[in-house]
Amino acid sequence: MISAYRSGTSPVHRMPTGIKLISFIGMSLVVAAAVTDLWQVVAALTFVMTAYALAGLDARVLTGQVLAVRWVIVFMLVPQLLFLPALVAASNTARVALIIVLAALFTITTRVPDLLDAVERALVPLRRFGVRPEGVALALALTITSIPVLAGFASTIRDAQRARGIPAHRVSFAVPLLIMSLKHADDLADAVSARGIKP
Amino acid sequence: MVKQAAWDVRDTTRVAAFAALIAVLGLPGAVPVFGGAVPITLQTLGVMLAGTILGPWRGAAAVLTLDVLVLIGLPLLSGGRGGAGVFVGPTAGYLVGWILGAFVIGAISFAGSLRPTWWRTAAACITGGIVVVYACGIPVQALVIRLPLAQTALTSVVFLPGDLVKVVLATAITLTLWRAYPRAFSRRVINR
Repeated sequence: MISAYRSGTSPVHRMPTGIKLISFIGMSLVVAAAVTDLWQVVAALTFVMTAYALAGLDARVLTGQVLAVRWVIVFMLVPQLLFLPALVAASNTARVALIIVLAALFTITTRVPDLLDAVERALVPLRRFGVRPEGVALALALTITSIPVLAGFASTIRDAQRARGIPAHRVSFAVPLLIMSLKHADDLADAVSARGIKP
Repeated sequence: MVKQAAWDVRDTTRVAAFAALIAVLGLPGAVPVFGGAVPITLQTLGVMLAGTILGPWRGAAAVLTLDVLVLIGLPLLSGGRGGAGVFVGPTAGYLVGWILGAFVIGAISFAGSLRPTWWRTAAACITGGIVVVYACGIPVQALVIRLPLAQTALTSVVFLPGDLVKVVLATAITLTLWRAYPRAFSRRVINR
């Protein structure tokens, strides 16, 4: 599983996860609410570039993040160009793209295990409503480990069907995948109970 | 009356497996769709199946698990998208709508008898997988790209044929799975 995390020792990397999350949400809301005309877009772009520089990331990383959301940009731009003036459509799209790239900086500078811990800690107040943070953490960890296993099942089924000359068919592909996935889940359940872990 | 038993380990691992399954359905080339020629996402199909197979609460929990992992930065959405940025972008409403959609699909398909029927499964997938998801997704999209609601809705019509195909697939898969592996369905009859 490849995560977007890039290691580093910058102030952005070292900020505690909770505080970092809250400040990134704050900055996104400010950009979403305040930026409307072209000059404000330029100001926000400067701010995002400064934030990336502060995190010790070069312009290539920033460009890579913009390229990663190119289809989202197309998805936003096309309907707007049908109904709005081009300049308004462009600055609307730029604003949203900037917010996405800013949020990506949070993802780039925070390790997945740290985030899983933060999720578990954030859920502790919900314990009184019957939420068990350690159960949620278990489900999240099991999902991450199951993805490569299930991807393996998918390629096994595809190869088996190709070997028998069965054309790729949606239903005859999905049903064995579902059965294998659910059996895998039941095996995991046995392994978890055998170790005395409460769900 | 069909009722679900209390939550146990098996449910946690099934929720995890379904969250992983929805992620795998978004991997490029993992699942053949029309010979791989049409780049449509099959993740909505996974959301529909989570509802029809796991039921309302467990189905919604599977989608919620996937959303949390996407939020913390794993690239699990189709096209390798992921990270907090997805939840401030124009498609954020659709991702949240998936949770509610899976719940509605599960509630409708588990409302009647033990055995799934094609018409109830299809009705559940249309209501939860299309109506609920669009009702959550379109207003957020309109808000994010600052376009009037009606015009945003009009541009979303492009995705309707693909979603209807997914309803047909989800119904066929659910009914075939019931014949092939009834244990898949986490529903038990409770006689009172």
